[in-house]
Amino acid sequence: MPVTRLPLLALSAYLAWGQWGGELRFCLRSDPKTFDPLAVADDSSETVRYLTGGVLVRVNRKTQQLEPELAESWKVAEGGRKIVFKLRERVLYSEGTPFSAEDVAFTVRRMMDPALHSPTGDSFRSGSGEVRAETLGPHRVSILFPSPIAGLERLFDQVAILSAVSPKAVLGPFVVAEHKAGSHLLLRRNPNYWKKDASGRRLPYLDSVRLDIQQNRDLEQIRFRRGEIHLIDSLDPETFDSLAAEAPASAIDAGPSLDTEMMWFNQVRNAPLPEYKKAWFRSKAFRRAVSESINRDDIARLVYRGHARPAVGPFSPSNRFWFHAGLRPHGFDPAGARRKLEQEGFRLDGAVLRDREGHPVEFSLVTNSGNKTRARIASLLQQDLAKVGIRLNIVPLDFPSLIERINRTFHYEACLLGLVNVDLDPNAQMNVWLSSAANHQWNPNQPSPATPWEAEIDRWMRAQASTLDPKKRKAAFDRVQEIVWEEAPFLYLANRNFLAAISPALRNTAPAAMRPQTFWNVERISFANQISGRR
Amino acid sequence: MLWRKLLSGASRLLLTWLCAGLFGAALVRLAPGFGADELELDARMNRESIQAIREARGAEGGIVASYWRYLRNAASGDLGMSSSMGRPIAELLGDRLPLTLRSVAFGLTLGWVAGLSMAASTAIFRRSAYDAAAGSLNGLLLCIPSALLAFFLFAVGAPAAVGIAAMVGPRVFRTAHLLFRDSLDLPHVLTAEAKGLGRVRVFSFHLLPPVAPQLIAWLGTSVTLALGTAIPVEVICDSPGIGQLAWKAALGRDLNLLVCLTLILTAFTLTANFLCDVAIAWRGGSRPCRRSGIWRPHSC
Repeated sequence: MPVTRLPLLALSAYLAWGQWGGELRFCLRSDPKTFDPLAVADDSSETVRYLTGGVLVRVNRKTQQLEPELAESWKVAEGGRKIVFKLRERVLYSEGTPFSAEDVAFTVRRMMDPALHSPTGDSFRSGSGEVRAETLGPHRVSILFPSPIAGLERLFDQVAILSAVSPKAVLGPFVVAEHKAGSHLLLRRNPNYWKKDASGRRLPYLDSVRLDIQQNRDLEQIRFRRGEIHLIDSLDPETFDSLAAEAPASAIDAGPSLDTEMMWFNQVRNAPLPEYKKAWFRSKAFRRAVSESINRDDIARLVYRGHARPAVGPFSPSNRFWFHAGLRPHGFDPAGARRKLEQEGFRLDGAVLRDREGHPVEFSLVTNSGNKTRARIASLLQQDLAKVGIRLNIVPLDFPSLIERINRTFHYEACLLGLVNVDLDPNAQMNVWLSSAANHQWNPNQPSPATPWEAEIDRWMRAQASTLDPKKRKAAFDRVQEIVWEEAPFLYLANRNFLAAISPALRNTAPAAMRPQTFWNVERISFANQISGRR
Repeated sequence: MLWRKLLSGASRLLLTWLCAGLFGAALVRLAPGFGADELELDARMNRESIQAIREARGAEGGIVASYWRYLRNAASGDLGMSSSMGRPIAELLGDRLPLTLRSVAFGLTLGWVAGLSMAASTAIFRRSAYDAAAGSLNGLLLCIPSALLAFFLFAVGAPAAVGIAAMVGPRVFRTAHLLFRDSLDLPHVLTAEAKGLGRVRVFSFHLLPPVAPQLIAWLGTSVTLALGTAIPVEVICDSPGIGQLAWKAALGRDLNLLVCLTLILTAFTLTANFLCDVAIAWRGGSRPCRRSGIWRPHSC
């Protein structure tokens, strides 16, 4: 090896070496609603669960592959109904008690308690019947489900293992040390954390994590610029660009996120809307024409300042396995859209599009207020649709009002919202795609599928959920994506990039598309200026 | 006589307080989106869990019934759970109320001291340039929306109390300034000045006492103003007080929490105004005697 490379090697070895100590600070939008890891439903509680909870297996956010954590190995048996975990030995909880199979069995039993209504538990409900968790020894546990669950082992990424004896004990890298409601949450290093770095030294490198409760995003940015916090998740494109101009090293564009912006029309049969409007919304030609009137490139360019790409379907290209690479976004083609509308009996009367009965084509689009990005998308949609003679009225509503309209009264015509994917697997979206599901937004809770294509989606979703063969599952879900592309019940608009601000003082950060994008490897994150070698 | 007045005032106060709580409860119950939960949009939740959430939110019953139940529980010390924050309301208040009370108390004191001293100095010095400068400064502060002011305060690292003071101070100045200016032409003030009394003495003994009842009444109103200002200031400054809590509760349609906060804020407002009324009554409603032009107690 040439001598000139030695300093370089020494430098890279130094950079890879973790530094102990320091306090990582970032913000939560609100107080965590719960500290019970099994009842987690909001983002803040999810963050606390991720930082404090130990899991049996973890999806590596960068490679999207499953990795062993508290379970050394696992085996799925009985066609996906059963999973047996071999647990890591000599692992201690934060309070010093040993971790055993009994804790896993206790956690599963509690998670599946129907009275808990745990979103995590709901992802494991495959059919009616009891879930049985049995210990097969101090470090072996078997869990039997009433019906097969495809991708079963990946679901355990979300299950923080509780202690059967001590309610506050955790197995994750940090422990909640202090909570001042509305102000901050302080997490201290778990002294008994089991993980070690490559050279066998204890992790995490950080001494503590301080989570400040900061609802106001503008103030969060001010604080980042002042150096009071070290991370910001999900920057808006304007702030990102301004930060990139000021401090390029801090602004990170990690490529397409898993989230999708989309709109849909209300197709609920008994919705309080005029019949002629319901007929438009149920017409595939109308939906496709609207979709083809939308210039998605403009949305990516103007709203997201180039930090987004036109969306194709429910998954973005970041979901490497499940994304359907054969599909392309509906092209911007106003002339084609007009032709489709004419074939369906619509006609242009001056600048106004009218339906067969002469009604002017006009509908309202509800969206959540206070979201600048969605307000801009809505405004571009308004301009695009005006070009084909459709008048769009934008109605921003606060979230509870919006939920009431889209989930209860169905008193809306079209809705613009985002789909947040917390899981890579399409099984997590069963409650969206099945026609009988409550989150089948365009027409929920159907007693039987209202259309043949919805029946087909039901069939393919059930098919992908009932086999363990990844290729067969992929083929089935690809078919679902094709039907959705063809029928356009959701008009997918854009996949925004994950934009973050990360202090250059931090080392070993590796932003990824999956949540939590910036601190998923928190136990390995360290500060550059800490003194090396302290244990 | 005074006791009878106090008793009747206190019962009026209690009735107003109960009505304000009921009104608050009705507003929340009738607000669009009441009972809706963001969890309903969580794709992981199955139909049974969503149904259970809806039933839990809808189990609060009618407006009057739920309000009555709430008061009954509150009387036994149980303020209930916050549906939007998932924590006992007593705990939330315990964490946040002291901060807001400190901010409001400090803001009120600072606002009153600043506003009143400025108004007093204009009445004592009576220089048109000083008058104009003080008027312009206060006019400027009156024109700035509290939200914008809160942004500025956060940027310079000032506490929320300064924002409250900046809202209260100019209004105190304006009221006091007008009262002092009108009183300068009263016969007893003119007589005192004609007799050669110094301006500080005229202000302290002839100008201030007649306007004291109005100023005391304004003190009650300024408590309401300060509590009202605390909401946007705490929201923008991310100060974890009950102003921020009220905002979050409103966004989350959190019935129990909003009713509780309404009752607390109403109690503070009513108590402050009641105490001001008592103070005015105790002073005997003093005002200058129109007949003699000399300031005397009301009975003259």
